[in-house]
Amino acid sequence: MADSPEQIKKSIKTYTIIGLVLFLFTGITVAVATVPALDIGVHGFDVWDMILGLLIASFKATLVGYVFMHLNHEKKAIYWIFFGSMVFFAFMIALIMSAKSDPIHFNGFNFGLPF
Amino acid sequence: MSAHAATADHSHHDDHGHHHEPGFLQKYVFSTDHKTIGIQYGITAMLFLLFGFYLMMVMRWSIAYPHEPLPGWMSWVFTDTWKARWLSDGKVTGDTYNMFGAMHGTIMVFLGVVPLGFGAFGNYVTPLQIGAVDMAFPKLNMLSYWIYLVGGLVMCASFFMESGAAKSGWTNYSPLAGFADGQIVNQWLAGQTQWLLGLVLLITSSLLGSVNFITTIINLRARGMTWMRLPFFVWAMLVTGFLLLLAFPPLEAAGIMQLADRVFHSSFFMPSGLFTKSEGLVELSGGGSPLLFQHLFWFLGHPEVYVLLLPAIACVAEIIPANTRRPLWGYKSMVYGVIVLGFLSFIVWAHHMYLTGMGPKISTWFQITTVLISVPSVILLTALMISLWGGSIRFTPAMTWACAFIPMFGIGGLTGLPLAFNLVDLHLHDTYYVIGHFHYVVAPGILFGLFAGVHHWYPKITGRYMSKTLNHMHFWPTLICMNFLFFPMLVQGMAGFHRRWYNGGDAYLAKAADSTNVFGQTVAQHIDLNITMSWAAWIMAAFQIPFIVNVFLSLFAGKKVGSDNPWNATTLEWATPTPPGHGNFTFDVATYRGPYEYSQPGAEKDYLPQWEKPATTAPADAPTQAPAAH
Amino acid sequence: MEIPYIFTPRKDTGMVNSKIAIWLFLASEVMLFGGFFSSYVYLRLGADYPWPERALPVLPGLINTFVLIFSSVTVVFAWAGLKLRKWRMFQVSMGITIACAAVFMVLKAIEYNVKWHHQAVRLKDYTILEGHLDYDKKANTGEVTKDGKPVFAEADQIHVATESLTFNTLRFHKPWVEELLRQAGSNGAKVELAEELSIQGEKIPAGTPLSVDLLTKIQKNHIQSRTNNSDVRTEALRAEWIATYAKPENADKKGWELAPGVNIDVAKIKDQLMLETPSVTFAVKPTTNFWFYHRDVKEGATQSRLRDDTVLNGKLLDSPVAFHNLDAIDFRHVVMKAEEKGIDPVVAIENTWLIKNSKEAREAWEWNKAQTAKLEQQLLEKHGKDENGVAKRVPTATERYRIGWKDFIAKADGVDRGKEEIHVSEEFMGPNYKLREPKHTFPHLKVPRDLVFLSGKFTPAWNTYYAIYFTMTFLHGLHVVGGAVVLGYYLFCGKKMYQSNPEWLANRVEVGGLFWHFVDLVWIFLFPILYLM
Repeated sequence: MADSPEQIKKSIKTYTIIGLVLFLFTGITVAVATVPALDIGVHGFDVWDMILGLLIASFKATLVGYVFMHLNHEKKAIYWIFFGSMVFFAFMIALIMSAKSDPIHFNGFNFGLPF
Repeated sequence: MSAHAATADHSHHDDHGHHHEPGFLQKYVFSTDHKTIGIQYGITAMLFLLFGFYLMMVMRWSIAYPHEPLPGWMSWVFTDTWKARWLSDGKVTGDTYNMFGAMHGTIMVFLGVVPLGFGAFGNYVTPLQIGAVDMAFPKLNMLSYWIYLVGGLVMCASFFMESGAAKSGWTNYSPLAGFADGQIVNQWLAGQTQWLLGLVLLITSSLLGSVNFITTIINLRARGMTWMRLPFFVWAMLVTGFLLLLAFPPLEAAGIMQLADRVFHSSFFMPSGLFTKSEGLVELSGGGSPLLFQHLFWFLGHPEVYVLLLPAIACVAEIIPANTRRPLWGYKSMVYGVIVLGFLSFIVWAHHMYLTGMGPKISTWFQITTVLISVPSVILLTALMISLWGGSIRFTPAMTWACAFIPMFGIGGLTGLPLAFNLVDLHLHDTYYVIGHFHYVVAPGILFGLFAGVHHWYPKITGRYMSKTLNHMHFWPTLICMNFLFFPMLVQGMAGFHRRWYNGGDAYLAKAADSTNVFGQTVAQHIDLNITMSWAAWIMAAFQIPFIVNVFLSLFAGKKVGSDNPWNATTLEWATPTPPGHGNFTFDVATYRGPYEYSQPGAEKDYLPQWEKPATTAPADAPTQAPAAH
Repeated sequence: MEIPYIFTPRKDTGMVNSKIAIWLFLASEVMLFGGFFSSYVYLRLGADYPWPERALPVLPGLINTFVLIFSSVTVVFAWAGLKLRKWRMFQVSMGITIACAAVFMVLKAIEYNVKWHHQAVRLKDYTILEGHLDYDKKANTGEVTKDGKPVFAEADQIHVATESLTFNTLRFHKPWVEELLRQAGSNGAKVELAEELSIQGEKIPAGTPLSVDLLTKIQKNHIQSRTNNSDVRTEALRAEWIATYAKPENADKKGWELAPGVNIDVAKIKDQLMLETPSVTFAVKPTTNFWFYHRDVKEGATQSRLRDDTVLNGKLLDSPVAFHNLDAIDFRHVVMKAEEKGIDPVVAIENTWLIKNSKEAREAWEWNKAQTAKLEQQLLEKHGKDENGVAKRVPTATERYRIGWKDFIAKADGVDRGKEEIHVSEEFMGPNYKLREPKHTFPHLKVPRDLVFLSGKFTPAWNTYYAIYFTMTFLHGLHVVGGAVVLGYYLFCGKKMYQSNPEWLANRVEVGGLFWHFVDLVWIFLFPILYLM
C-alpha cells in the first residue's frame, strides 16, 4: 500500500468526521419516522417516509463504502466485482418485482372441490 | 514470485527441501495440494454419479414394469428391512419413486456433475494452466472439499432414516417441500430437512471454491500470462466461478427460509388458507408466497445449468486443438461469448416459470433474453465445430468423446429452443420433452465432455495412458444407448407424457382416459417406448464397467507415457513433471505466446508450447532455465 | 513452495490475494442479503394481512445502530494504528470494536427474549390479542409435584381426558411416551396393555404396564414380521408374473394389460406370513388428563392425535388460551377483511366475539374511538381540508384500530394518548406489570380454544414479518459474531505477527475491517426497513 503515515493521520480525521455524520443521519432518520411534527406526506407512515428512509440509508451506506471501505481509492477490479454484484442484485429484485406486478388474472378451474 | 532455485528434478515428491515429508493422512486425505484435492473431488463425484445412476435404474423399472417386483439384480443393494419399508410386494411405490427422483436430480446436479467439472478438473488443471504453484488459499480449498463431502453425506444419509430421503423433486418447491415429512417429530432428522442442511453446506463449499478460483486466476498467473493468453479452459472456470459466487447465495437465502418454514413453522413460502387432505386447514400464519421460492430457486437454477456446462465445454475446447493440431478457431469470440453467456444466464431464469401465471409483458422479456442466450451458446459450439475443419484429427480416446460431445450437446441445445417460447412451453411444460431436452444437454453432452477430460489428463495425473480398447468398449455402446434412452423421451413428451408419472402413464391408461392431443397423438401409442428406454439405460449401465476397469487397471497396466507432454499440447500443464509434484513447476515458469499455437507457419514443430522461449526476441525477465524439450 | 502475493501486492493487479478474496466474498454476501431483501419486499407487497409497520420498539435498534457505527470508526482506527506502527492504538481501538460487538449482541438477545415471552393469538374472526399468559387455576393439570403442590401448565395447552392410548408401532416418539408415563404417574394412573398380544409365540398378557422397552419390543417384532411378509409376498408375486408370461395366450400382451389378472394367492402363502403389529392400544385407568403443547396435537372432540401418530382416545377438555395480562388488542386484520367484503369496519369490530364478550375490551375500544376522534379533530384544525373537502391528514389505521399497551396505560392514567409516562426500561421490554399494578390493570381474558386460529409467541411462526425480521437479524447477528471472532483473533494473537511482519497484520486487519464495515452497511439498511417502516 502507498499509504504514508501523513496520509493515514489525515484520514483519521476524515474517519472521525464521517463517523459523526453517520451518527447525525441516524438521528435524522429516526426523528423523521417518530416525531409527528416532522411527518412528511400524510400523517403516519407512507411512501415518502419510505423513500426518505431508504435515501438516508443509501447515503450512509455510500459513506461507509466510500470512506471506511476505501472505495475512494481502490483498484478497478474491485469496482468490477463489487458493483457487478450490485447489478445482479438489481436485476434480481427488479425482475422478481416485475414478475409479481404483471400477473395473469385467472380465476382458476373449479373441480368441484370444497376449497 | 520468489524465484525457486530451479532444478529440473522430476522426482515425484518435489518439496524443494523446505518441508518435512508429509504423513499419509496429510498427503492423501487432508491434503492442501490442489492436485490431490482435485482427485478427491473427482473420485467422490464419480461415486455419487454412480449412485445417482443406480437410483435412475430403479426408477426406470418402475416406469417400464410398474406392476412387477423389482428384480433381484437391482434390489440386492437394499437390506430386507429397507425393502419392506419402501417397496410394496417388491414393487416400487409412488413415494419411493418420488424419493429416488428427487435424489437422482440432486445428486447428479449438486453432488456429481458440478464437483466433477468444477471441483475436479477445475482444481487439477486451472493452477497448472496458469502456471501457479497452487491455489491462492490451499487450506480453504481443502475445507471446500470436506464441506462438500459432509453436505453430500448428510443428504444421502437420510435414505436410511425413518422419513426416507427428500421427496419433493430436486427443485424442492414449497409448499410441498414445506410439509413433506411433517409427521416426523424431530424435524432435524427428517429427509426433507436434511436435504436443506446438505444444500446449505454445498453452497458454502462452492462459495469457498469459487472465491479461491477467481482469486487464483486473477492474481496467481505466471509471468507473461496475459488475459488473452489464458487457455479457454481457464476463462470458462473464471466465468463458472462468478456464476457460483453470485447465483448460489439467493438459493442459500431460500434454503434458510425454507428451513425456518420447516423447523420454526414460519410461512415464508406458505400462502394463507392452505388446506391439505390430512391436516385440514393448516395451522400456519400464512401470508407467504410459494412463487417467491421458485424465483429464488431459479435465480440459481439457470446459472447452474452453465455451471454444469462450462467445465465440460472447456475440456472439449482443450482437447480439440490438441488433437486436430490446429489453433482453436475463434478463440477471442469464444472468450467474449462465454462472458456474455455468464452475464445473460442471470436474467433468463423465469423461463422455468411460464406456467406460474406470469403476465405477457414479463414473459416476453424472459423469452427475449432466453433466445438471446442461445447466441453465445451457438458461438461456442460453432467455434468448436469449425476447429475440426481441415485438421488432421487424431482419434485419441479423449477426441472420440469430444467429437461425440458436439452433436449430442447440439441436440440438447436445439431441443431447448422451443421451450424458450411461452406458448410452446405451455404445451411441453413438465412433460418428458423437457426431461429429454435437459438430459441430452447433461448426459451425452456434459458427461461426454467430462469423460473426454478424464482421458485427456489421465496421463498427466498418473503417468500412464488409458486403454484404447476398453475405451471403445465404453464409448460406442454408451453413445448408442444414450440416444435410445433420451430420443424417445422427446417423442413421448410431445405426445403428452407427464414427467412425474411414477408408473410411466400406466395408471393413466388404466383409467381409459386416453385422448388425443392437438397433434392427434395418444399416450397409448408411445407407452411401449418406456421399455425401450429402460433397457437402454440398463445396458448402458453395464457398459460403464469397461470405464471403471479402465481407470483402475491403467493405473498399473497402462502404457507408460514417453514424455511429460504426451499429446504434444501447448498449454502449461504439460510443462510440469509427470505427475506434478508439490509446487507443480520445476522451473521458473513464464509464458511467451497464446494458448493454441499449433501448426504455425515457419515453426519447426507443429506446436509451440506457451512456455518455450521464442528464439528471436528474448524478454528481459526470461526464465533462468527452460525444461528440456522432450 | 510458497504462495506468492500474500502480503506484497502483485504488480499488474496491484492487489494481495486476500484483498481480492474478501471483495469476492462481499460480492456474494451482497447477493445473499440481496435475496433476503428481495424476499422482504416481495412478502411485504404480497402480504394479505396488515403488515406490522413500525411495530418494534425503536430505542434498542437505535442504540444498536450507534454501537455499530461507532465500532466501524474504531476498526479503521485500529487499522490506522497498525499502519502508523502504534500497537497500543491498535489494541485499544480493536478492543472497543469487539466490546461494541458484545453490546450489540446483548441488546439483540434482550430484544429476542422479550418477543419469545410475549404471547399472541389470532382468533378465527381475525381479532388479534397480545399479552402474557399466566399460570391459570383452570389450567391445573391435576398433577402434583413431589412436594404435593399442584402442577400448572402454561395456559396454551390441549387437555384430553384420556381413556386409552393407541401407539403407532413404527413412529412413536420416545420422549413423548416418557412424558405420557410421567403425566400418568403423577396422576396415579396406570397405563396397561388393553388386549393380549402374541409376539413370535411369546404371549404378552393384557394388563402389562406401558414402557418404552415394551414398545420397542413390539416395534422390533413388527419390523421383523413386515420384512418376512414382504419377502414372501414379493416372491409370490414374482412367481405369478413368471407364470403369467409363460402362458402362450399372453405372448403379445403388455404388462399393463395383464396386470389386473396377476394377484398373489394369499391362501398359498398363509403359513409363511407372520402377524404384523402396526399399532398397539393401552388402556388408561382411571381416565386421566393428558396435556400437550397445542402444535403437537391435532385435537378432536373424542379423539386427538399427537404428531407422532399416537391417538389419545377420550373427551377433549376445556383448553382455553388464558391471558393474565392482555396488553394489546388489534383489529386491523378484522378491518382489512371487512373492507374486502364491503362491510363497515366499525360494525365488523363491534360484532367480534371479543367486544361482545369482554367488558374491559369494550371499554378500551370505546376509549380508543374517543381518542381517535379527538386526534382527527386536531389534525383537521392544524392541516385543514383539501379542495374536495377531505381532511388532508387523518389518523392512521394503527391509531384507529390498534389498542396497544401504552394506550392501556394512558387510559388508566386518565390522560390522552401519547401523554402517558413510560419508564425507559419499558421502551425495551414492554410494560412492566410489577411497576404498573395495581393502578394500571391490563385485562384478564380467557379465549375458548375453538375460537383460536393461531396462537403462539412472537416467533417466526407468528407472521411473515416476524419471520423475515428474525431470519435477517439472526443472520446479521451471526455475521457480527463471526466478524468479532476474527477481529478478536487479530487482537489477541496478532502480537507475534506484528513483531515479525506488521504490514501483513495490517493487511489482514484491513480485510477483517472490510467485512466488519459490510456488516455495518447491512445493518444501516436493516434498521430502517425493520424498525422504522
